[in-house]
Amino acid sequence: MDPRVQGLLVGILFGIVLQRGRICFNSAIRDVKMTKDNYLAKLALLAILVETVGFQLAAQLGWIKLNPIAFVPLAQIIGGFLFGMGMVLAGGCASGITYRIGEGYITAFVAAVFFGVTASAVRGGPLSFVNSWMGKPITTTNNPGGFYASKDGAVNLTLANLLNINPWIVAIIFAVILLIVLIFWKTTERKVSGLDWVTGGIALGLVGIIAYLSQKTYPLGITGGWVNLFRTTTANLDLTKPIPYNWMGMEIVGIIVGAYLAALFAKEFRLRVPKDPKTFVQVAVGGILMGFGAGSAGGCNIGHILSGLPHLAISSIIFTVFTLFGNWFMVWYLFERR
Amino acid sequence: MGNDVKPTYTLDERGEVCPVPDVDTRRKLKEMKSGEILEVLIDYALSKERIPSGVKEIGGEVISIEEIGPSEWRILIKKL
Repeated sequence: MDPRVQGLLVGILFGIVLQRGRICFNSAIRDVKMTKDNYLAKLALLAILVETVGFQLAAQLGWIKLNPIAFVPLAQIIGGFLFGMGMVLAGGCASGITYRIGEGYITAFVAAVFFGVTASAVRGGPLSFVNSWMGKPITTTNNPGGFYASKDGAVNLTLANLLNINPWIVAIIFAVILLIVLIFWKTTERKVSGLDWVTGGIALGLVGIIAYLSQKTYPLGITGGWVNLFRTTTANLDLTKPIPYNWMGMEIVGIIVGAYLAALFAKEFRLRVPKDPKTFVQVAVGGILMGFGAGSAGGCNIGHILSGLPHLAISSIIFTVFTLFGNWFMVWYLFERR
Repeated sequence: MGNDVKPTYTLDERGEVCPVPDVDTRRKLKEMKSGEILEVLIDYALSKERIPSGVKEIGGEVISIEEIGPSEWRILIKKL
């Protein structure tokens, strides 16, 4: 099957799970601090647990090569912090603003456009000079078991190849820690009309594994998909050649379609417009910060957190930590100061 | 069930961005007196499901959640 059709189908599945699970990493990270509510955080951690085992299994069976994101310390530190701040202003993470377009949120659409355009500018566009400020990737030549994708012998850093041990060992230890946290961290009460955190977490993890088996080079992502959509749609194309939309670009289209269908079916679709026009400015600024952050860091909350943490990639661990800081800082600034 | 209760204050949070409905509800509830009722109009499903546990911590209790339209709810919260 054409990879683009596969991307579209995986995207639809992803969109349905996001909508029915009301999955938002911005809420997941914020609620833990602001209201001590861990419902969505536990859902996300469970998805990461499922993927940690699934990605490893797929790699050990030889179905995929693990392909962690390049570690550029400053890019993940600065990019993570800006992305974390941006998603609070935008009212959603990269996947959140994408699927909410399908639910009818005009603010999500505005945020996503500014996010996609800024990320495109940073990745190979007029803002790409900022990447040279961030420095070069730090790689290793260790490739324990040959499970990692390598380029001229260089492999992007993960905990396992840093220690040069079989990635199973690190994955199992990480999975056990996650399992202990999930069992002993008391879940905040919530009466849900969609997927509960257990069903939603397992479904999200499975979609991630399907995505890796389908796309091969990486599991789910958002930033690269928006960049592909904007760049391809507005490029000067040689129309004698196939139009270069890719797997991830079509995945974005799929997410919006899937979320729309799920919302329609659940009678939750509705065009929603904020009363105060200033909100549009706020979400646009949020989208720009997110695009700048995810564009330079090599991924967003999906590329780095949902897909990158299960690799135990050093880049994704650092990005996640600084996204938490950025989010909590902006939550404090906007909502908790007074 | 909520129809016979008369709200003291009303917040119209329809169209607001996440998590503004939650934050506004919490802020209002904090300054209310015991026994007063807050009515929140909301069109964001995540907040609708999150508010009941969120207000408990600050001395509120959700009395009723009523669907008043497609993806539109009226939540009544009592300050304890």
